[in-house]
Amino acid sequence: MPVALTSRMGELERAVMDELWSVDDDGWLTVREVHERLARSRDIAYTTVMTVMDRLSKKSLVRQQRDGRAYRYQAAASRGAMTADLMRGALEEFSERDRRGALVAFVGEASPEERAALREALAALESG
Amino acid sequence: MTTLFLSALAVLLSGPVPALLGRTPLLRRVPRAAVTLWQSVSLAAVLSALGAGLSLVTDRGTREGWTGYGVALLALLLTAVVLGRMLLSGHRVGTRIRAVRRRHRDLVDLLATREHEAPERASVPAGRTAEAGVRVLAAQAPLAYCLPGLARSRVVVSAGTFDRLAPEEVGAVLAHERAHLRARHDLLLEAFTVLHTAFPRFVSSATALREVRLLVEVLADRAARRTHGRLPVARALVALADSRAPEAALAAGGARLVERIRLLEDDRPHRLLAVAVYAAAAATVVLPTAFVALPWLAGLTWLPGVAAG
Repeated sequence: MPVALTSRMGELERAVMDELWSVDDDGWLTVREVHERLARSRDIAYTTVMTVMDRLSKKSLVRQQRDGRAYRYQAAASRGAMTADLMRGALEEFSERDRRGALVAFVGEASPEERAALREALAALESG
Repeated sequence: MTTLFLSALAVLLSGPVPALLGRTPLLRRVPRAAVTLWQSVSLAAVLSALGAGLSLVTDRGTREGWTGYGVALLALLLTAVVLGRMLLSGHRVGTRIRAVRRRHRDLVDLLATREHEAPERASVPAGRTAEAGVRVLAAQAPLAYCLPGLARSRVVVSAGTFDRLAPEEVGAVLAHERAHLRARHDLLLEAFTVLHTAFPRFVSSATALREVRLLVEVLADRAARRTHGRLPVARALVALADSRAPEAALAAGGARLVERIRLLEDDRPHRLLAVAVYAAAAATVVLPTAFVALPWLAGLTWLPGVAAG
């Protein structure tokens, strides 16, 4: 997929998630409802919204529920919970025991003794 | 003779040599040259292991009799196992890394704000954000890392990082992460991870991976030092290490942080050392190729002619 199209998809996914997050915890939205909300601020086709929500569903970022002939959607988790999850996932990737190199952290882990040694090394550098 | 030499070389380059290099901290003073040396030692180890097996095949395979065929078959099998493990490990590691990054990038794009939308932006000169998108996560725990990728690389920083670090320290962190992305350090680490996953024991692949990980950090630290000075880099390192979660206390990554700060102090070029290390790197690959592999391969093209005559 070309970069321009990818980034438009990314932007639309954000917009859709923002709408889903804006309804209260137990709230579900249909594609039509999401489309109506998005159409207030932008020119967007119903089918595009459907495609985006399908993508989000495949990525397990939204839950899907059948309601008669239509599907209703809900964010898989709140924005805060997803952010916390993401941070935890990143920290797991960095941990020495379970490092497979997908992400590279600025600092690794350090024990209390090592932190003391770190501060000493910094003090030496500051005075030197 | 070829087989014997290549086998000896493979053993030497996959065991004692990496172990020795791992115990030579002096190499970290010339990180770029040291990375090259690690690459050439690993490449030469793999090539000589493959060459040893194949040369046994060509040595014995040309002889008559069942013994000749038996030895050749065994050697071929050994070569196939070495090659197979490498390919399988490469496939597994690569697939996994890309899956984790894709998932992670999707979430980051969904949840993080772009750097220029963030309130704190004095750290990055305008226009430089396009180089690699900086994303800010709304979380208090300080965290900074990079998500490598061909066209969609990202530097991810938590909002808490901006609270704990001075602007020039944040700038140093971003410069460090961008250096990783620019130099594609992820590919280097991936290669050594593949090697380590393929041959986790009996060879010093763990030493190689550990040392290369440290060396790329030193390289990125140096890039950050060039633009921001050594103190902001060192202060950022200590501040971020200090604020990491307490359950991390089990780990042993801290020793390398101390080493990184010590290495920040050293900004002499060490030209002579660098030249020597580059020369060693070149010799490791070129000499066995020129004196053993090429004569052997040249002999091979000659063989069918002899057999036909």
